[in-house]
Amino acid sequence: MDVFSNIALGFGVAATFQNILYCALGAFLGTVVGVLPGIGPVTTVAMLLPISFTLEPTSALIMMAGIYYGAQYGGSTTAILINIPGEASSVVTSLDGHKMARMGRAGPALGIAALGSFFAGTVATFVVSFGAPPLARMALQFGPAEYFSLMLCGLIAAVVLARGSIVKAIAMVVLGLLFGLAGSDVNSGVRRFTFGFQGLADGIEFVALSMAIYGIAEVAINLERKASEVAVAGRVGSVMPSWADIRHCIPSVLRGTSLGSVLGVLPGGGALLASFAAYTLEKKVASHPRTFGEGDIRGVAAPESANNAGAQTSFIPMLTLGIPSNPTMALMIGALMVHGITPGPRVMTDRPDLFWGVVASMWIGNLMLVVLNLPMIGLWIRLLRMPYRLMFPAIVGFCCVGTYTINSNVTDVTVMAFFIVFGYLCLKLDCEPAPLILGFVLGPMMEEYLRRALLISRGDPTVFVTSPISLGFLIAAALLLLVVALPAIRKKREEAMVE
Amino acid sequence: MIIRAPKDFWSGLMFLTFAAIGLLAASGYSMGRGGRMGPGYFPVALSAVLALLGAILVLRSLVLDGEGVERIQFRPIAVLVVCVLIFGAMIPKLGLVISLSCVTFIAAFAGRETRPLEAAMLSVVLTVLSVGIFVYALRLPLSVWPSF
Repeated sequence: MDVFSNIALGFGVAATFQNILYCALGAFLGTVVGVLPGIGPVTTVAMLLPISFTLEPTSALIMMAGIYYGAQYGGSTTAILINIPGEASSVVTSLDGHKMARMGRAGPALGIAALGSFFAGTVATFVVSFGAPPLARMALQFGPAEYFSLMLCGLIAAVVLARGSIVKAIAMVVLGLLFGLAGSDVNSGVRRFTFGFQGLADGIEFVALSMAIYGIAEVAINLERKASEVAVAGRVGSVMPSWADIRHCIPSVLRGTSLGSVLGVLPGGGALLASFAAYTLEKKVASHPRTFGEGDIRGVAAPESANNAGAQTSFIPMLTLGIPSNPTMALMIGALMVHGITPGPRVMTDRPDLFWGVVASMWIGNLMLVVLNLPMIGLWIRLLRMPYRLMFPAIVGFCCVGTYTINSNVTDVTVMAFFIVFGYLCLKLDCEPAPLILGFVLGPMMEEYLRRALLISRGDPTVFVTSPISLGFLIAAALLLLVVALPAIRKKREEAMVE
Repeated sequence: MIIRAPKDFWSGLMFLTFAAIGLLAASGYSMGRGGRMGPGYFPVALSAVLALLGAILVLRSLVLDGEGVERIQFRPIAVLVVCVLIFGAMIPKLGLVISLSCVTFIAAFAGRETRPLEAAMLSVVLTVLSVGIFVYALRLPLSVWPSF
């Protein structure tokens, strides 16, 4: 089957009335929650997870994807209008975007963000369609040893690109892997780390863990800060950028899109790295780099296109290899597993409708963002003024109900309470939760691949270095670690993160 | 002994604690041999790595300077955790309406600038909305009213 008939199949699935509705609903809800100050995209996706559980898997994933794009766009809106980026990936947008808003050009900033994202989304949809099948075919050749090394490499890459201390980040990955092992061992039936709790036999509920950390623990941290009055920048004006603006931005959007599409595939990259890199590149190639940081529209167009392209191509490793490149993708994997689907190279051959339906819905989702969001800018601005004291009880209530409804199991709620304390401590101690979530999702899979690899090699651990592919992944992982350990590069990385 | 980097020190200690729990619990599981990896193999390996990383953090925090931990404010985190536990205790028997309105009302007091009347109104609105969304729109299997 060639790519175009696949895309056609995808649109056949995604363009049913029902799925378009879910996609639009997802994009809308994602934006509504994502726009609320203090709620980033990961929190949004985590909180809205339970909504999708009653749907059938394809619709659920389509809706989740819609929520993700919506949340991302909502984050950019807050970054531009009130200079509070919901997530690190929109930090760069706030540099020039908020300056523009203060000069009374919030409208064009929001407009170019939406249009740039839409263009990037369209291109990225094609990148996914062309890039995913060969990758999945390649992955089908992988044996357990190759998979184990690939996952190891992916986790290391995610750690390297995370912020803050590397030792802490690796420790968080390892801890996440350990948490992931709780519950009945598939092979021996031994119950591990259940500490006598009957409800833990099926392991730690992923939704409880992510809602505890990204939902409620974050509320606790936010409440400790002094409440600040939100100052929404003056007049928004027309959201349509002028022709001159658009022409000015075309090269930036193109560069941002290509950079974002490539970087999104990398583990740990996704939207965050893409937007940073795009902004830096724009500053390098611009003839008058001085205007950056002073409200240059290209400083909004490039990172916004890049983070959307990256957000979308980060689906490639998730859907073809089953490897999450960021916490949001980990949540998607969690959602798929709730529906009984294990992401991996088989999804494309076993469930082509699901795979291509999701790919097609990416494009529809991006269209929805332009069609739905631009006219509703007035509503978003009103949401921005919502005081936090009215929002956080809603977050808490939603997380409680959401966690309980998954299995109607009180243990999950108790587990959530435990992880709220844990997540709070982590945030207090500057231990990034993202690596933990990635480790948690990959834990059981890594153990299984390790077990199978050793079974096939009859206990000979050299199997990981005798297979060339596996060796390649291990060398890549080692190089990555070595690179960040070098003082010179370490300094640069810290600078880049600060900027 | 002077702790120079409190954030690193305490996170190292946290990792060491989890590693210790992991090793203790996993010591009861079989390690397996040769090509047959037992249920204890991977957890023990992970716990050992975690212990090593924790130890590095703790030792490093005694040598290198680092940030201090921001003061912990007990009210928000305590109220939120209690809320969640209360919800867990109430929901199976008392149903969604009572549990959720209690939880959202109590949760409001995790903040400093909460007004009781406003919190009460908010909890009513949120409960009505949630029943609408979860029970009627999404048809999740939740009992709305108490059942004995």
